[in-house]
Amino acid sequence: MSQDTVLHTLRCIGYAELARVADACGLDEADVESHLIDLAVDGFVTREFGGWGLTEVGRAEDARRTAGELDRAGAREAVASAYQDFMVLNPELLDLSTAWHMRTADGVAVANDHADASYDALVFGRFADLDRRAGAVCADLGAALPRFNRYRVRLTKALDRARGGDLGYLADRIDSYHSVWFQLHEDLLATLGIPR
Amino acid sequence: MSHIHRLDGLAAQPADVIGGKAHGLNELLRLGLPVPPGFVIDVAACRQFLRDGRFPDGLDEALASLGAPGVAVRSGAAVSMPGMMDTVLDVAPDRVRAAVEAVFASWHTPRATTYRELHGIPHDLGTAVIVQAMVFGDRDQRSGSGVAFSRDPSSGAPELFGEVLFGRPGTDVVGGAHATRPLADLASREPAVWAELSSALRRLERHYRDVCHVEFTYESGRLWFLQVRPGGLVGRAAVRVAVDLADERVIDRRTAVDRVSERDLRAARTPRIRTGDVLARGQGASPGVAAGRIAVTADSAARMAAAGPVVLVRPHTSPLDMHGLAAATGIVTSRGGPTSHAAVVARSMGKPAVVAAAALTVDAAAGCVRAGDRTVPEGTFITIDGTGGEVVLGDPGTTAGTEDPHLSRLLSWTDRAAPSPGSSPPGG
Repeated sequence: MSQDTVLHTLRCIGYAELARVADACGLDEADVESHLIDLAVDGFVTREFGGWGLTEVGRAEDARRTAGELDRAGAREAVASAYQDFMVLNPELLDLSTAWHMRTADGVAVANDHADASYDALVFGRFADLDRRAGAVCADLGAALPRFNRYRVRLTKALDRARGGDLGYLADRIDSYHSVWFQLHEDLLATLGIPR
Repeated sequence: MSHIHRLDGLAAQPADVIGGKAHGLNELLRLGLPVPPGFVIDVAACRQFLRDGRFPDGLDEALASLGAPGVAVRSGAAVSMPGMMDTVLDVAPDRVRAAVEAVFASWHTPRATTYRELHGIPHDLGTAVIVQAMVFGDRDQRSGSGVAFSRDPSSGAPELFGEVLFGRPGTDVVGGAHATRPLADLASREPAVWAELSSALRRLERHYRDVCHVEFTYESGRLWFLQVRPGGLVGRAAVRVAVDLADERVIDRRTAVDRVSERDLRAARTPRIRTGDVLARGQGASPGVAAGRIAVTADSAARMAAAGPVVLVRPHTSPLDMHGLAAATGIVTSRGGPTSHAAVVARSMGKPAVVAAAALTVDAAAGCVRAGDRTVPEGTFITIDGTGGEVVLGDPGTTAGTEDPHLSRLLSWTDRAAPSPGSSPPGG
């Protein structure tokens, strides 16, 4: 079961060091490493490019296991419906991430130098507002397939770090709110078998 | 007083009454240019609907006099909010009311609210709704749609620029799922449409005394304009257009100077790619110039990066491409837009990025990139400009704003000194 989680997490986050895989899974590093080694023996994962990643065989195996999981749980309809709701929020999250990096004034987009605290607070406020609305989508997903609950934990953690003053957690880091959201997007596509 | 106004180019309601898009359609009609017949429901009607749910009188009559079997229902606020509100295409007459209500209601979507917050647009403005007879860019072999600029929007050079999709509707031009063709391809395929489009853009420039761009569809060889917008160029392109228009005596030098903002002047200093063998053009999504060999998969980018700089070229990106993005010196995607995941990630890593290079197709299996009739194998050296959106073969080098002859001339017409990067605008 948790081996499936490790395999599927790699499918959604791409090449990653052990610590990042474990964090994304919400599992103990030693357990995750043991699963990774087993998965590597089966040829599903590989250690390259400074981290663990999926092989082509592993990708096909994950698609098979994920489809089975979805059908056993009878969750296809609920996940598909939550995906529609997610896709309403996704453009706004991308607008906000872009507004965090670039600021338009007199029609010219310039890099946000973060010198204007009121602008940054405005962007953060809209992030927090979107996060409240994303809560319903996350709850629906978690009810359909409990493994999706991990995203709620990771999104909240990123937003809390940003609220605490470390604003890089909005859209600048590999564990930023945008990065976790991007992985949730990939997870939904992979779970439902939708090509990007 | 009626809130429904025929688009006829005769009555000239201002943009704050009927929205910017409808205002532009009236200007087109006034110039005798072809616009699908239609009417506009004004912003006051939207405000009333959002306030108390009351729908404006006269919709049925307006629809009956239009007599079209299918209509397009588009939003058009007084202030440009591109892509934020709904558009409903090919609506049957009995469904128009619901479509108009949907467009009204889309003013209050959280995404539109966020956009207004970020751009300082009042929440109570409301949007106008344009209802027009449908024209079909996918009607037959002699149909298509595109966007056209009266001057090159990246450099400001005085030549028509744009993209066209043959046999496809306008939504596909911006959708990014189809590889577009350069606008100039129209010249051989539909010479009459090309000639009419070129002459219309010249007239629009004289009318607005500024660079313009239009959205158009042609149906069975007949051209229709769906939108016109003047201005909108920034940085070095804005400088060049202002100087050229003054030289062409379309505007005087004082107007030229006034049109260029301090921000344009500072943006004009950003190093840009030199003109070279342009493989494709997209939108700049993360500023800066990057040069390296093409990699068409994240894995090959990560492998090739050991031997020198690499530019990752993908249709779009997913988290599975992150190790390739990390290894690359720059990123190109054929799809997406300036707010795609790829653009956000590129900016977070501080790497130049070009997105929506719609003429490119990436063939990962064959290990190459195609642009029109050209095939470029992985490993080919390219340079990309994350400001202007150019993808150029080889390494043409960069040019600083200080060498720009148009900028020097504009500055010679003013007592403004060239701003240095990072300096504050005068008085600010």
